[in-house]
Amino acid sequence: MNLLSKALITLLLISLTSVSYATPEQDKETFQSFYTERFPDISKAEFGDGVYALDQDARDQWEAMNDFPPYEDDLEEGETLFNTPFTNGKSYASCFENDGENIRQHYPKFDSKRNMVVTLELAINECRTNNDEEPLPYKKGDIAKISAYMASTSEGSEINIATPTSKGELAAYEAGKQYFYSKRGQLNFSCANCHIQNVGRKARSETLSPALGHPTHFPVYRMKWESFGTLQRRFDSCNKQVRAEPLPGQSEAYRNLEYFMTYMSNGLPVNGPASRK
Amino acid sequence: MKLKALSLIIIFGFFCTLANATTATDAAKSIQLAEDLWDKTKSAGHEWNTIKPLVAQAKQALESKDFATAIELSNKASQQAELALIQAEHEKTNWLNNLPK
Ligand code: HEC
Repeated sequence: MNLLSKALITLLLISLTSVSYATPEQDKETFQSFYTERFPDISKAEFGDGVYALDQDARDQWEAMNDFPPYEDDLEEGETLFNTPFTNGKSYASCFENDGENIRQHYPKFDSKRNMVVTLELAINECRTNNDEEPLPYKKGDIAKISAYMASTSEGSEINIATPTSKGELAAYEAGKQYFYSKRGQLNFSCANCHIQNVGRKARSETLSPALGHPTHFPVYRMKWESFGTLQRRFDSCNKQVRAEPLPGQSEAYRNLEYFMTYMSNGLPVNGPASRK
Repeated sequence: MKLKALSLIIIFGFFCTLANATTATDAAKSIQLAEDLWDKTKSAGHEWNTIKPLVAQAKQALESKDFATAIELSNKASQQAELALIQAEHEKTNWLNNLPK
C-alpha cells in the first residue's frame, strides 16, 4: 500500500469515527449551538417556549391566554392526587427524593441496576405498584396531572440529566439519538427534518418549533386535546403526522428518545406545565 | 334436453365453487403474507400507520367473500410494508447524514 492510500484510509477512518463516536457532550454542544447561532436574538432559556420564542404574533396571543391558564383546574387536581395517600397510608412523596418536590429536572434517569431509562411518569407508576396500587394509563389523564404538578414544583430549575458515560447509558442514549434522526412513516420524515432542518418554517399552517427546549415544559395542556398530555403523547401526534404508527407509552424506544432529547436540553430551565395549540 | 342443461348447470356451478374456493385461499394467503411483512416492520421499529387499516379492510372483504378486494388491499399492505422495511434498512446508516453540523 502506498503512502497516499494509507493517508486516505486514515482520513476516512477519522471522519467516520468523528461522526458516529461524538460524545454526548459534543452532541449537546453542536445541538445547542445550532439553535443559538441560527437565532442569535433568542436566549437559551427562551427556547423552552417553543414556537412562541420564534413567532411574536403567536406569542402575544399565547401570553394573553396565559393570564388565565387553561390548565389551572387540572394542575390543582394533580396536586390533590399527589397528596392523597395510598390505601396503605403512604404517599407519592415517600417514593422520591426531596419528597418529590423540585426533582423534574433530573428525569429521565438511567437506572444502572435495571439497565434502563426511567422517566418521571414511569417512576410515578412504579411508586403506585410498589404501594399495591394499580398503575395509571400512560400519556394522559391522572398521570399527566400528577406529573404536571411535580413539574410545577421545579419551575426555574435547570434540566440536569447526568451525562451518559457507562455502557448501558451510552447504548440507551445512542438508541434515542438514532430514533430522533431516523426518517419514519410513509412520509419519510425524521424528527430532525422538521424540528432542526426546518425549524422556524411553516408546515401547513404551523411554525415548526426548535427541538432545543422540547422537554422543558411538559406535560403540556393542548387546546386540541383539551387536557394535559405527556411528552410521549406528543411523540404520538408527531409520529401520526408522518404516518408512522405511534408506540405504547413508556416503550423502550420512547424512553430512550426522551432521554436523548432531555439531555440535549440540559441547562434550560423547567417551565412546565405549559399550554399549546 | 332438459337433463343436459341441468347437468351443464351443475358442472358450471361446481367449477364456480372450485374457482371461489381457490380465490378464498388466495385471499387468505395474501392477507397472511401482508401480516407477516407488517410484523417485520414492527420488529424493525418502522411501522407505518397506513398498514393496519389496509389489513383490517382486507380481512373484512374476505369475510364478506369479496376476494378480489381482499387480495387488492392486502397486496397494497404488503407493498407498503416492503417499503417500510427498505426505509428501516436504509435508515440503519442514513440517519447519520441528518445530524446537525
Ligand atoms: C412533519 C413535521 C414534523 C415531524 C417529522 C415531527 N414533528 Fe414534532 N411537531 C410538528 C408540528 C407542526 C408541531 C406543532 C408546532 C410546534 O410546536 O412545532 C410539533 C410539535 C412537537 C412538540 C411540542 C413542542 C412544544 O413546544 O410543546 C414536540 C415535543 C415534538 N414535536 C417532538 C417531535 C419528535 C420527538 C418527533 C420525531 C418522533 C417529531 N416531533 C417529528 C411537526 C413535526
